[in-house]
Amino acid sequence: MSWQAYSFLTKNHPKATRPTGDVRWSAISALHFYQNRQLELYASKEARRLSLRQLVFFGRHMNEERLIKSANYVRTELPIRIAHRIRDLQALPYVIVTQPEIAKVYELYWSAFDKFRRFPEINNLSDNRKFCDLLETLLDEHAPVIPNLSLGLSLCSPHVPPDSLDSFMRRMLISRISRRVLAEHHLALSKSLGRHSLNSEDPRVGIIFTGLDVKHSVVKCARLLRSRSHGIEDDNGEVIPNKGWPEVVVEGQLDTTFAYIREHLEYILFELLKNAMRATGLKHRHNTTLPPIHATIVAGKDDVSIRITDQGGGLYSTGIQSPSDLFSFSHVRNATRMDDSRIGALRSASSRGVKATVAEQVGGWQVMEEHGGSNAKDPERRAGIAPHQRMGLGLPMSNIFATYFGGSLQLVSLDGWGTDAYLQLPKLGTNLEGIEF
Amino acid sequence: MTLKTGLLFRIRATARSLHRHHCCRYHAHHIAEPQGSQLSQLLATYAAHSPHPITLSSLVAFGQPLTPESLLHSVSYVLSEIPRRLARRARALETLPFIVGTNPHMAKTLKAYRDSFQFLATYPRITTLDENARFTAELSQLVESHRNDIPTMAKGFQECAKYMSPAQVSKFLDGAIRNRISVRLIAEQHIALSRALEDRPKSGPTSHYGIVDMACSPAAMIRMCGEFVSELCEATLGAAPTIIIDGHPDTTFAYVPVHLEYILTEILKNAFRATVEHHYTQFGNHSTRTLPPITVTISPPPSPCSPFLSFRVRDQGGGVSPSNMARIFSYAFTTAGHSNPDDDTDGGGPYAAQHVGGSAAVGEGTSGGEGNLFGEITGKGLQVGLGTIAGLGYGLPMSRLYARYFGGSLDLFSLDGWGSDVFVKLRSVDQAGNAEI
Repeated sequence: MSWQAYSFLTKNHPKATRPTGDVRWSAISALHFYQNRQLELYASKEARRLSLRQLVFFGRHMNEERLIKSANYVRTELPIRIAHRIRDLQALPYVIVTQPEIAKVYELYWSAFDKFRRFPEINNLSDNRKFCDLLETLLDEHAPVIPNLSLGLSLCSPHVPPDSLDSFMRRMLISRISRRVLAEHHLALSKSLGRHSLNSEDPRVGIIFTGLDVKHSVVKCARLLRSRSHGIEDDNGEVIPNKGWPEVVVEGQLDTTFAYIREHLEYILFELLKNAMRATGLKHRHNTTLPPIHATIVAGKDDVSIRITDQGGGLYSTGIQSPSDLFSFSHVRNATRMDDSRIGALRSASSRGVKATVAEQVGGWQVMEEHGGSNAKDPERRAGIAPHQRMGLGLPMSNIFATYFGGSLQLVSLDGWGTDAYLQLPKLGTNLEGIEF
Repeated sequence: MTLKTGLLFRIRATARSLHRHHCCRYHAHHIAEPQGSQLSQLLATYAAHSPHPITLSSLVAFGQPLTPESLLHSVSYVLSEIPRRLARRARALETLPFIVGTNPHMAKTLKAYRDSFQFLATYPRITTLDENARFTAELSQLVESHRNDIPTMAKGFQECAKYMSPAQVSKFLDGAIRNRISVRLIAEQHIALSRALEDRPKSGPTSHYGIVDMACSPAAMIRMCGEFVSELCEATLGAAPTIIIDGHPDTTFAYVPVHLEYILTEILKNAFRATVEHHYTQFGNHSTRTLPPITVTISPPPSPCSPFLSFRVRDQGGGVSPSNMARIFSYAFTTAGHSNPDDDTDGGGPYAAQHVGGSAAVGEGTSGGEGNLFGEITGKGLQVGLGTIAGLGYGLPMSRLYARYFGGSLDLFSLDGWGSDVFVKLRSVDQAGNAEI
């Protein structure tokens, strides 16, 4: 039986359990090996990297012809990028890819690759609609990739040197971001075709906001975070009840705007502010008031910079050597990757998936608060008072988002006092995507 | 007699044969110049033996307890260890390319090292406190005479720019400065201990052990340096910002105050100048708006495992442009030779001054080159902490060397268009028992 056939039969069966180990793999390995020729065809092509400006320019004057062109670009570009990543996975040690979490990612990628390469050329809007449906389905299906990959690699960390592990993860995640950008941009362009695409209130082209107001995003993330009603769980499992969150004071050049993907900017700000608030709350748990967090916004010549300063005690810990270790997926650099709580959190996330957006997290809180998190084991979680478990993905993902168009994120610690996070994002839109091929 | 002491005797014997007059003073009474080749031979002998790695704790130990005996041990340490280090420096200069060695500035420096080496290597053994007192006065003068070594060499290197790469020069200067710091530490520790023994009946208990202050207060030092820099700034630029000290101002730690003074003075000079100039650029020279303050945040060591005191100096002086960031820690010579105003079309900001050569430092009493604002300051005969090396184009790289000397660090982060943050971590020297000098 072919691998695809087997996969099709088991995929939608509600009780389909994943057979472990040898049976399934031996069934597919020979077929799979020889089918690899198709993959190699695509993997041998170079990815066509774009800049933000090109994405905006192309999307600005949308008409049917250009939309079809965009659809075909996405249709042919995505399988090339996926093929590169599958080749990357294939190069990993056998024992790692046969790990259930990585195996699952591998399958998802193969399936997506196959679907894209079989999709016929798009000639009209009706074809495009079918294509958009495929895109939406795959975007949803691939939600488990991030937690599964993180979990799988954390578990494999003892077997892979930290540099290789981190660079592998970086290539995987940045490619993933790039494919989602292309897909979502095309979906947005498709939706807005025919409608006046330049809303003067919030001008955007596809998923790019051409007049993204930085202060507005900072304030929005701060507001969302400060509305949380749950407390803080410290590293020993003790929960500090909520007594409010620190204020976020915004300073600098407050009218700074630039063209960027709002979801990316807000994800990073959200994660950084979340960490800052948590650290502040923990450090000052015995105080009545919490010192504020300062966000400074600056527009330089080529970049927009945002510095987030907190008084949360800094990043000194025995598990890391320097703040940049927090971006690493390797337990050698960051010992917490192997913590039971992290592994556990990643496991529960791997079934529902992680898209790495602010909306997803906020939606999660609301669900928890409304339904009392009835799946949770302990009463606090059920009551929605306890915070959700920490997966440890915020910083590595923020770092990768930041570097996607050539920006940077740096964390600096004033050990014992607080942390400064320096986020720099390019504002001219001329840098190419930072994916590797 | 051990091999080592046997060797020492042989060295001393050679030395004695060169030393004509028992109590000869360095500047007078020289009956006959030692043969050039004999001196070279002596130098070679000393240079062949690596300096004994001295730890700070052993230097401090001469003062615990401070007795005539321990002081005489200290002086014999000085007489064996400093010549070794001077010999190494002389050797390093002698191995530079011939054409570089013929440069008058380099030749002058080499002669100075050879002369000092000869003086110390041929100095007779000291057995009484009186002899020590005499020697210590001469040692003081000797150290003083080397005040301009680094600027002199830097000027020489600038003139030799076509014969050596910037990387080679940096490496050489790094070595020279570290060496200089060691020599001064050893010498000044001895001088301080000598004074302490003399003054002992008069002075009360102190936290000082020679040049180490076990209760060094960064806040007090900041206030002191701040006042000095403020006057300097008012005098040259017409205005000066205030300093706000926050964090844990009462923190104290064990350090060599004169090092901290140097580091702080350099950083504050940069911050003050940047603030005033940026302010003038934005609001005009006669603006009456208040200057934004400089904020220094002090944080004590977070744990015994990490005995580092940290502080952050934050200014709103406009920051460092990305193009200058790579250059701010360089020693100010480029193949262009002199600071090229066209290089920095954005003015380069205050840190661009780092690129002006050390001509002002070297001039005997001249006020230095046009582009060098601090030339005026040295022309006014103001000295800073450790001599005229200060503030004349090498502030940042040298401060960093000083910070790193005992295992600390210095980093600069910038928000281009807004301001800079300098993070300094200094290791408490009572914990750095094994830190080699």
